Amino acid sequence: MHDSEMTLGPGALSRAEESPYGIKSRKMAMWLFIIADAATFGSILFGYGYLRLGSPDWPRPFAFFPTILNAAVMTFILLSSSLTMLAAADAAQAGRRSQAVRWLAVTALLGVAFAGLHLREWFTMFGEGWSLSHNPAGGPVLFGASFFSITGLHLLHVTAGVVALTVMALGHQRGRFDAVHVETTGLYWHFVDLVWMFVFPLLYLMNAH
Amino acid sequence: MTATQAGPVPGMRLNLVVWLGLMLLVVAEVALTYAHLSTAAQLAGLLSLAIIEAAVALLYFMHLKYERPLLFWTLIPTLVFTLVLMDHFWPDALRLLHLRLGAP
Repeated sequence: MHDSEMTLGPGALSRAEESPYGIKSRKMAMWLFIIADAATFGSILFGYGYLRLGSPDWPRPFAFFPTILNAAVMTFILLSSSLTMLAAADAAQAGRRSQAVRWLAVTALLGVAFAGLHLREWFTMFGEGWSLSHNPAGGPVLFGASFFSITGLHLLHVTAGVVALTVMALGHQRGRFDAVHVETTGLYWHFVDLVWMFVFPLLYLMNAH
Repeated sequence: MTATQAGPVPGMRLNLVVWLGLMLLVVAEVALTYAHLSTAAQLAGLLSLAIIEAAVALLYFMHLKYERPLLFWTLIPTLVFTLVLMDHFWPDALRLLHLRLGAP
């Protein structure tokens, strides 16, 4: 075998590594994570569905004020944070680094506000006697188990997202993370928003009296 | 957009319009909740609105509309297929409901 046959020409490596999807591997990895995570949320929401429809005496404890209104405000905050995330990705793409960092910080703060409202609601429910294994309204005790586990898993995602956004803002400011990193973080954040689009109607609105 | 090329990502003006549309869908969901429908009709209505919201967020916020079509056709049918397979458990769950013992 000649040496020339063993040597790749200039640019050959980049051509060989080009993704058929036309996106960076880190962005593809995030998409695969999102699909797997969507299946996770899908399965627990199906599980909740079994309980909800299979229990004729399922409680509907949520009043419009404060619970539904509070959840609607949380939805508004999370949807708005998706918009600020898009502004961050847009600014990062255009090379406006300080503006991107500011939008990332605003997005993280909106995430903190969402988590704060969520925790306040949880502690109010704890005060009324709700828990994973106790239902003060009567009916299946699994209401608390399904409500707190699904909203808890979502809240865990929000918390992880706020940490990721903070790390991204600091890293982007220092030039360690580029626009694709910001966009990939944005994909995760939009997914957290997307999951809430199912949690809000199924766990709050379907349980409003 | 060809089968292999990604399209341009939209500007903030379109994002704002999409955000407003999503907010309107949330208001519609809350209105539907207090429309005194049966549980099945309420569930069907809320799920339909949630699926529309999720599709809009996927296409515009997550830019799936502007990626190569291959990405969409690789990811979304896989997810839908998985969720449909999970749905096969439904009839069995309802059968088990009828096997419940009555209270003593």
